[in-house]
Amino acid sequence: MNTTPKIIAFCCNWCSYAAADLAGISRLQYPGSVRIIRVMCSGMVHPEMVLHALDKGAEGVMIIGCHLGECHYINGNEMALARAEVIADTLEDMGYESERFQITWVSSAEPERLAEAFRAFCGRLAILRGELADISDSQDSRF
Amino acid sequence: MSLPRLSFEWLHACCGCEVSLLDAGDDFLTLVSQVEIVHCPLLLDNKYQRDETGTLQLPQADIGLVSGGVASEEELELVQAMRASCTTLIALGTCATHGGIPAMRNQWTTQETLQTVYAYGSDEASLFPTKISTPLDRVYAVDEHVQVDWLLPGCPPTSAAIVGMLTGLLDGNPGKALTKSVCETCPTRRGAKGQGGVGRFLDNATGDPQKPLTEMVCLLEQGILCMGPVTSGGCGGKDAPLCLRARVPCRGCYGPVRAGSNPLLDMLGALASNGIDHRSMIDRKSLLRFSGAHGMLKPLRKRR
Amino acid sequence: MADQSMNGSVLVVGGGISGMQAALDLADSGFFVYLVEKSGAIGGSMPQFNKVFPTNDCSMCIIAPKLVECGRHPNIRIMTLSTVQDVTGTAGNFTVRVIEHPRYVDMDKCIACGQCTSVCPKSVDDSFNSNIAKRKAIYIKYPQAVPLKYQIDPTSCLHLKNPTKCGACAEICPPGAIDFNDREREHIIQVGSVVMALGFQTFDPAKSKIWGYGVYPNVITSLQFERYLSPDGPTDGQLSRPSDKKPVKKVAFLQCIGSRDKNRCNNEYCSTVCCMYAIKEAMTIKESNPDLEVTIFYMDMRTPGKEFDRYLERAKNEYGVRFIRSRIHGVEPKGTKGDLRLHYISGQGQQVEEVVDLVVLSVGLETPESMVRLAERIGIHMTPDRFASISAFMPVHTSKKGVYTCGAFNGPRDIPQSVTGGSAAAASVSALLTSVRHTQTRSLLPPVEQDVGGEEPRIGVFVCHCGTNIAGVVDVEELAEYAATLPQVVHVARNLFTCAQDTQDRIVQEIRDKRLNRIVVAACTPRTHEPLFRKTLKSAGINEYLIEMANIRNQNSWVHNQEPEVATQKAKDLVRMAVVKVQTQVARKAIRLPIAPSVLIIGGGVAGMTAALNLAEQGFQVHLIEKTTQLGGNALHLFQTWNGEHVPRYISELKENVQQHPLIEVAYTSTVLSVDGHVGNFSSTIRTGSSRKRVINHGAVIITTGAKRYIPEEFEYGKIPKVVASIEFDKLHMHNETRVANGKSFVFIQCVGSRNEERPYCSKSCCTHSIQSAIKLKKEAPSRQIYILYREIRTYGQRERIYNQARELGIVFINYEMHGPPKVKKDGKGVLVEVWDHVLHRPLEIKADVVILAAATLASPDAMNLGNLFKIPLNSDGFFQEAHVKLRPVEFNVDGVFVAGLAHYPKPLEESISQALAAAAKAGRLLARKEISLEPNTALVDPVNCDGCALCIEVCPYQAITLVEYEDEEGTPLKTVNIDPVLCKGCGICQGTCPKRGVDVAGFTYAQLEAQIDAALEEEAPLEEQL
Repeated sequence: MNTTPKIIAFCCNWCSYAAADLAGISRLQYPGSVRIIRVMCSGMVHPEMVLHALDKGAEGVMIIGCHLGECHYINGNEMALARAEVIADTLEDMGYESERFQITWVSSAEPERLAEAFRAFCGRLAILRGELADISDSQDSRF
Repeated sequence: MSLPRLSFEWLHACCGCEVSLLDAGDDFLTLVSQVEIVHCPLLLDNKYQRDETGTLQLPQADIGLVSGGVASEEELELVQAMRASCTTLIALGTCATHGGIPAMRNQWTTQETLQTVYAYGSDEASLFPTKISTPLDRVYAVDEHVQVDWLLPGCPPTSAAIVGMLTGLLDGNPGKALTKSVCETCPTRRGAKGQGGVGRFLDNATGDPQKPLTEMVCLLEQGILCMGPVTSGGCGGKDAPLCLRARVPCRGCYGPVRAGSNPLLDMLGALASNGIDHRSMIDRKSLLRFSGAHGMLKPLRKRR
Repeated sequence: MADQSMNGSVLVVGGGISGMQAALDLADSGFFVYLVEKSGAIGGSMPQFNKVFPTNDCSMCIIAPKLVECGRHPNIRIMTLSTVQDVTGTAGNFTVRVIEHPRYVDMDKCIACGQCTSVCPKSVDDSFNSNIAKRKAIYIKYPQAVPLKYQIDPTSCLHLKNPTKCGACAEICPPGAIDFNDREREHIIQVGSVVMALGFQTFDPAKSKIWGYGVYPNVITSLQFERYLSPDGPTDGQLSRPSDKKPVKKVAFLQCIGSRDKNRCNNEYCSTVCCMYAIKEAMTIKESNPDLEVTIFYMDMRTPGKEFDRYLERAKNEYGVRFIRSRIHGVEPKGTKGDLRLHYISGQGQQVEEVVDLVVLSVGLETPESMVRLAERIGIHMTPDRFASISAFMPVHTSKKGVYTCGAFNGPRDIPQSVTGGSAAAASVSALLTSVRHTQTRSLLPPVEQDVGGEEPRIGVFVCHCGTNIAGVVDVEELAEYAATLPQVVHVARNLFTCAQDTQDRIVQEIRDKRLNRIVVAACTPRTHEPLFRKTLKSAGINEYLIEMANIRNQNSWVHNQEPEVATQKAKDLVRMAVVKVQTQVARKAIRLPIAPSVLIIGGGVAGMTAALNLAEQGFQVHLIEKTTQLGGNALHLFQTWNGEHVPRYISELKENVQQHPLIEVAYTSTVLSVDGHVGNFSSTIRTGSSRKRVINHGAVIITTGAKRYIPEEFEYGKIPKVVASIEFDKLHMHNETRVANGKSFVFIQCVGSRNEERPYCSKSCCTHSIQSAIKLKKEAPSRQIYILYREIRTYGQRERIYNQARELGIVFINYEMHGPPKVKKDGKGVLVEVWDHVLHRPLEIKADVVILAAATLASPDAMNLGNLFKIPLNSDGFFQEAHVKLRPVEFNVDGVFVAGLAHYPKPLEESISQALAAAAKAGRLLARKEISLEPNTALVDPVNCDGCALCIEVCPYQAITLVEYEDEEGTPLKTVNIDPVLCKGCGICQGTCPKRGVDVAGFTYAQLEAQIDAALEEEAPLEEQL
């Protein structure tokens, strides 16, 4: 039954995880394939964690931090961004489409932005799977 | 009392590892006097036999050493025969432990590799030699196909390392596995890493070569790509790493510092964290030039 | 030295957020607190709210931890159903008579099982739900109530009215807790001080029939609307028309119901909070029903607080809430189906009629009559608006020495101001009673911690229903069954509210009985509730870090409430992820550090001086540094407070007190160069003058660096000498300079540099300031023509009185909008001001002798540097961003650093002083402990893997990592890194960098994250079997 591919989303404690909590409070809906893993900072996520998740069968991996300049730890999200370029480049070397990975920023007060990021990412993965033709359909993709 | 029996086999390899053992000189002669070499394609003309079921048979041995990775069906059969015939199996050299240089082909499909290596006609496959053993889908490290008891990486491992491991095994004291990187025994001075870019080793490292290594600044901090931090240590024993002794950066021949870790991703991630632009690096895949087996290097998936 | 004549206990009257905050700060500062609450549970109004502005946090979720903290504090005694009869004695030594009304339920026996409620036959209107739902005669105020004990309402209980009837609750109650013979009791309490946090009630719109409240069912109050929206309310957050339960398509909010109204009620003041809560409610309903049409009818949008104007803009632009400036004076029925007709005059001057489904009355705040009488009994002076009479200089002091006041009893205000007031009152009490600190308190030592390190994990999983919040979507039974199949899980329980006090007690018992050594709580979010469960583990005698929460509410049942199967499936994954993580959780010990008992205060304005004086009075050493050559800051330019108190006189007194206090050392022309250390032990390098440097060691720091004024670039400022900024005008006015003395016509232009694109915030004090100046001008010479050109008059609270006075004096107020700002040009000797009048609908030309610009307040340019030094954030306007807008208004996430005054946001003097006292309370609370313990969630070096490659050293934002050399047993020189556990904040940037797993953060190790990934992606076997 558990055939729905899953998405691992690393959310930082201060912004995106809080936004995910707020998304709940606001009853926003997003795809049920997302599995959030709480980290203290997006800068905590080692690139290997992304690769590991894909190797273990995750369909996609997201790292979601605070907006640049608003990191609770000064510049952890900038580190995450620098590594994200490495991850995207290297995933192709490792045989994965770099679209399977995304880094994005959401403040603790932007639950809708977070939900939309989840929806859009799921849409992007559906395109990779060949289930969706183009990005404009991704708005309605629910898995 | 019969002597311990040694068996050697080479797979997808260059025989550099075996030559390194021969380079041991007196130590090699001492070793030979303590063992019986039952199989070694480099030194002995031993014919390959098959039993009635058609299974390849190799002489029984106490210790087997396999160099080279597994790239073809023939090599797969050989390594399985080695495992079956040896009590203790050592993967000798980086090709055996991590795929080595031949595993660089793992970034392409077999078809692409063949087309690159061999000439081909208008119908593509027609000019491939028919005599070669069927290639596997990729180059494997030995431990991806059979259980390996000891890994001795190095391209090649030093004579001392090979002799040391063998005499250790014979004495029942093979030493313990190393968990740290090349940096552990690297005596260079370290401080701030984020000094702009890193590049290939095209110019000599700065620092007076007459002065001890402890006065040379860490090569990475000099902007020279050194794989030390992501590479398993031990090449120089307790002393400075071999390449560093020559004031040359580590190329990573001892394989990833942690089993299963990806040196390319680890290295670039750590450099990026330190503000170093990884795109300043040419041919980043070559960071895996020694460690392409274990699924580290894969051909790009076909996009829909 | 304990003073015999002083008592170290404090009475806090009122268990709302302000009283709770005062009680918590006092109890943590070494005083014993009696927290007297008239109803059956503490919490005040906040539990009734759905969300709070401007963060839209769930109100219950943020207050619940505070409720539990009060309920558990060994030095807070909560007295519910109790009223204060009288207070006699003098400061330091009061005798209080408290009447405790009968609960008819034995608090020691009640286990809050709720069986009594289920059998009670009598239903009555539930006032907690604003009467939109029923409750029983035996009830709890709300599900998360503290104390969680049932109570009988004697006015509706059948048995209490007639002892021969009913009694069903007593029959069914398992522990036999019902006591119909319970009687009123009197308590005599000795305390050193009293804090009055008497709170407010909402205006009752039924008093006047014109809004149709109580007549037409589809007219409801904003508080009722909150209950409709609230997910844990009687409608589970679903809004429908009260009359016919049909979906609502069109809602109108009517503002200023029972506020700014001298005709229908005596509430002349502005209730301050209604504009914001109406926006919040409008946004909330638009969020869940985007097609719904929401209109807010208002007079002025009063959104002067931090981030409030942005909130307003979001409501307009992103949510499409309609705003119409018109006060609607009546609601009439339209037809017989329950529709309502509104009649108003549009901005274009046309008469408009609109029909809506639902009218929400934004009811104002007022002091309950009983509280006015109590204040009279105690001898506290009240204002004509029936709030406590307080001086702007002493914003929490009543007219009676030793009696302090906070919260909405001091005038209508929002949550952060109430919280600030609670802390400020605590600071004032602490200063008064400092000689008897720690004389009445007791310390409860937690039980000895069991060492479970060597034991095989025995995991207990507690699945929370959260009422129906989780259980209504997720199949909790299936989830619990599944959890029991997971490796090392030995106990699974389900709870209605896992955060409730009684469940906590039960978990403690189960940990002991089942010898559990790891806990998973599958409930809401660890961000709000993990601290609570940690305490539970602690009291059960196991290490508090052996817990993991599975967030199956906020991140599951609420976001997949349309897909229960998906949610159940995901809940299993989340529980499995939590279980694998907790398996490798290890015991951690807090880092204990001694505290340097001194405070550094940066900025010698009123806020800095106030905090300094209070802390010195509390007995702590204070280093006050000021960058200029004199104390006073921006207040040196102020002439009077909104209620006419003389500022210069107060400032000179305050300066003198500060300069003469033996515990305060003032350093002029001084700035902070660098900061080292951490909470409890900062050492800051200060530069005085041009060269001299020295290091100050301090346990805490308060940032009161103020703000600067905007130098206008518009309205010909600096080009026409008769165009002046308000601060300059005050000086001219004070000296009766010729421009003022001979002036016949004065024009004030508001919002100069504020509320524009570049600075989308309100400078908060300018409306009041201009009106005061205008009144003074008019009173000096009534023949003067005075005009105030404004966008919105924001005389919030009791300041409304001066706005009314100004209009009565004949000062002309002309509204302008951003798209048509006034134009100023030179006209002979005078100035010509052109403005479009939105009432007359035509341009006006005003000949002015002086034009006064109400210029914005800007963030201090020093803030950026200080923010970097102390690692604290600024908001997008450059003001310091506090830890939590609502409940931690003067704190940061960096411990030991506090903020007050204009550095936080533009505000009038009394709010700066209140904040300064609150910051002093927080610093005092910290220093009173003498020792602090830091969270041990730091990065740890793995000696097996780290080889000192030094890739992590520069990436650490806190410079906590150093390279160290050592020798192994054979003398080989080796390298590794050392992490200073005090500097380390546990961000894990090193962890994300290290190529060899040589360092990771406790509680978020590589192994744990990897295990969570694996668990998340695991194919789940049991379900496949089921299907």
